[in-house]
Amino acid sequence: MQTHPDTQLEWEFRHAPPPAPPAGAPVLGETMVQLRGVTKRFGSVTAVDAVDLTIRKGEFLTLLGPSGCGKTTLLRLLAGFETPTSGEILIEGHDVSDIPPYRRDVNQVFQSYAIFPHLTVEENIAFGLKMRHVPVAERRERVEEALALVSLAGLGLRRPHELSGGQRQRVALARALVCRPKVLLLDEPLSALDAKLRHAMQLELKHLQRQLGITFVFVTHDQEEALIMSDRIAVIHRGRIDQLGTATEIYHAPASAFTADFIGEANLLDAAVLANNGVTAQLQLGEGAEVSVRSSAVRPGATRALVSVRPEKIYITRTKPAKENTFRGVIEEEIFRGAMDELRIRVAGGLQLMAIAANESAHEHAWHKGDTVFCAIHTDDIVVVEQK
Amino acid sequence: MKKRLSSLFAIGLALGAALDLSAAKKEVNLFGWSEYVPQDVLDKFEEETGIKVNYETYASNEEMLSKLLGGAAEFDLVQPSEYVVEALVKAGKLEEIDFANVPNMKNVGAEFLHQPHDPQQKYSVPYMAGTVGIVVNTEKVKEPIAGMADVFSGKYAGRIVTLNDNREILTWALRTLGRDINDISPAAAAAARPVLTKWLPQIKVYDSDSPKTSLLNGDVDIGVVWSGEAAILFNEDKKFAYVLPKEGAHLWIDSLVIPKGAPHKADAEKFINFILRPDISVLISNAFPYTNPNLEARKLLAPEQLANPASFPSPAKLESFHDIGKSAALVDKLITDLKGGS
Amino acid sequence: MSAPRASTDNSAGAKRDPRGIGWLLLTPLLGWLGLFVVLPTAILFVYSFCQRDELGQVVFSFTWSNYARIFDPVYLGIFGRSLWYAGLTTALCLAIGYPVAYFIGRSPPSRRSTLLLLVMIPFWISFLLRTYAWISLLKGEGLISSLLQGMRLLTGPLDILYTPTAVIIGLVYTYLPFMILPIFTSAEKLDNSMIEAALDLGATPVRAFTQVILPLTKPGIFAGVLLVFVPSIGMFAVTDLMGGARVPMIGNVIQNQFGQARDWPFGAALGITFLALFAITFWFLHDRGEVRR
Repeated sequence: MQTHPDTQLEWEFRHAPPPAPPAGAPVLGETMVQLRGVTKRFGSVTAVDAVDLTIRKGEFLTLLGPSGCGKTTLLRLLAGFETPTSGEILIEGHDVSDIPPYRRDVNQVFQSYAIFPHLTVEENIAFGLKMRHVPVAERRERVEEALALVSLAGLGLRRPHELSGGQRQRVALARALVCRPKVLLLDEPLSALDAKLRHAMQLELKHLQRQLGITFVFVTHDQEEALIMSDRIAVIHRGRIDQLGTATEIYHAPASAFTADFIGEANLLDAAVLANNGVTAQLQLGEGAEVSVRSSAVRPGATRALVSVRPEKIYITRTKPAKENTFRGVIEEEIFRGAMDELRIRVAGGLQLMAIAANESAHEHAWHKGDTVFCAIHTDDIVVVEQK
Repeated sequence: MKKRLSSLFAIGLALGAALDLSAAKKEVNLFGWSEYVPQDVLDKFEEETGIKVNYETYASNEEMLSKLLGGAAEFDLVQPSEYVVEALVKAGKLEEIDFANVPNMKNVGAEFLHQPHDPQQKYSVPYMAGTVGIVVNTEKVKEPIAGMADVFSGKYAGRIVTLNDNREILTWALRTLGRDINDISPAAAAAARPVLTKWLPQIKVYDSDSPKTSLLNGDVDIGVVWSGEAAILFNEDKKFAYVLPKEGAHLWIDSLVIPKGAPHKADAEKFINFILRPDISVLISNAFPYTNPNLEARKLLAPEQLANPASFPSPAKLESFHDIGKSAALVDKLITDLKGGS
Repeated sequence: MSAPRASTDNSAGAKRDPRGIGWLLLTPLLGWLGLFVVLPTAILFVYSFCQRDELGQVVFSFTWSNYARIFDPVYLGIFGRSLWYAGLTTALCLAIGYPVAYFIGRSPPSRRSTLLLLVMIPFWISFLLRTYAWISLLKGEGLISSLLQGMRLLTGPLDILYTPTAVIIGLVYTYLPFMILPIFTSAEKLDNSMIEAALDLGATPVRAFTQVILPLTKPGIFAGVLLVFVPSIGMFAVTDLMGGARVPMIGNVIQNQFGQARDWPFGAALGITFLALFAITFWFLHDRGEVRR
């Protein structure tokens, strides 16, 4: 069978019934995991609510959401630590809902790493191979490979307590990867690291995933991390998938107020629909702040719309620019954020906006409290997330 | 627990005594067996003489010895068993009693006097006596039991309780062999060994503290026990008969003695004389069914008390124990070995 | 460069002070240990080389004979049996106590304290009372015997009381909580993700237990083994009451030396030997049982 790098085909596979596992190399874009109406209840609490999700072979999918949203339960369902109350989970087309974790070709990197303290680094990594009765010689070889892969070569005889946090994290990763899982589950694996190390590890993980071609399902509550690493992000909210898409899709076109608010920063504004002529629609964000958007963004007959505007999309100038959707405001507060200045702008009618402007020369100190400025927003940057 | 409580009690008493010093209250310090001197006897004595009795107790002769010889407390009266009296006399640890102060000594039966432990009767006054004999549950054991040979015939294997007292056990064998029970030598031990090797495996329970328990529970049918325990059993249920073994039995006599250097010797003698009064002595018999050596007091006992064969057994060959000193180690080793082998 | 050095000095200074206070805080404990552990042991040690006189008083004249006597087969045999009984007791306590402790340690915290309470409740009742309760349960005309006979599972009366079996029952009953509590502490501390990691890596529940749970609860197991093994070697009350004093253990022999036999030096020698055995056992277990974290 040929490999299909074509994304068009990817789409087709997604919507076609699950294909038979291929005989040869994995095909990027084939379905690896499929969740069908998966629900998990703990007593009266519904942690996961009728989730449908298809995870493609070789992709880096992130489950993103605030704590308690159900993302971890979803991961545990995939690992087999929980069984669904209803619905089914398919891995390569086989229903695994009732298969215990130790018989699933899925491995997990735990948030606490869960490195066995009584075993050496080497023994930790070899654990999964030993459990699967891999011959000793092969075991040794694969452990060495795994150590090299995570840049821990030569540390095999160390004890876990002799390692730094980052090193332990790598051991946990090597221990899971050495088993060559079909899917690698990562439960907030970077949350215990300091900011700098975390950023380095984000890129490293991403590269590792590309290099190995293993399907990663990554759980995090850190939206920035999700944006950096993921091929696709599933935003989870109250046990449901709020939005599924690439990082840019989710950032630029949030499908809900929740997603807009959770990912990055957003001005969520309750706007009145003033007119809709079929080409453009007029929205009033507040008194003195009227904007027009594409007519298609607003449902015919809608009178109110909740719109999201990213702060960095608000274009701030001192003189009135020759641009659409421009209105005047006064800087109420200026917050220095290093590379950026965060501005709180009050528009005449009372509307308050947050904008982020590039920090100009420190000597001039461009923005001051009380300055009158003009705000301009591009039509496409006004995203309607809810309407009625 | 009881021991600790009693010593706490004693501390309390000592404190009380210290606080009362100004009043110069007269007192006597009695170190006696637990459950041996009724409280009303002590109260009566204080009432009549104004002398307060501080009663501290012990559970074994050995415990008493270590406290007495440790010299920590100053006792005026102690209640050792006969072989301990002997050892104390030998070691010069006792005061001679001034019998001019103890006219009631005339009430004590002659058979309890001038025993080997105090041949001249200079140091001790018999308090209570008793024997070690055989208790038989006559409902279970129909054949007559006359002596140790019957007990250990093999017929009652696993149905026997005996005292957990190594020396006592050894003497049964020695008596059966016709040997002197007070001659504890390697030769005697060697002679007794084959007999005890046969006997000990037949014993189900060794219990010195409360051998009546296993008899009452029905776990055993025959016991070789203190007469006091047998008397209680008889009072409980008449099916428990008491027999003194025909080979001979151990007669124990607990005496009142005055340790060397006792601070209140005269008052101690007053107390001894008081105890020997028939009307007082009978109170002790009413509380504890041992053999009362006070013949005048016996006259005041109820017929059923006198009828208890364990309190007042029919005459038999009785012997008391002598001090054996270091030979105790020999006994300990022999019995420990035989018990361990079973 | 000087700033960090100064701060290192500061922290070292800061460390020294609390250590001084630490020793001060330990003084009552050290005093207690010295007065009630070290001193008596020293006295015992001295006595063990002394002799007794006719009255049973300790005479200070040097002799090895007390230790030589221990090597008499009679006493060696009892040491051996004591070790065997204590070993069996420990094994049974471990077999019964481990699942209980693990279950309690892994149950939700709200239920944990209730379950622990159930383990502790027997301690509120005097040891002697509990032992007598066992006697009345096990006796030939007792509850268990009648029950088994009533169910026709037994033809004659139950013959357990005053046998070695009864001694073992008594010992296991007495020391079981001492096994449960330390294992519980270990099991409670055990991170659930360790078990999940093992399962995730392909370990069946049985192998997850032997390869991960067991090694990680080892400190609790060793503490439990020590807490049960050591005192059960020296136990004499259970042997006397439930075993009918038929099979002496080393505790009974020692008790007898300080009581009836009035041979304190020999008792002291036995005690010191026992202590040495304990120290060796502890050292051996500690050396092996140390979880290198």
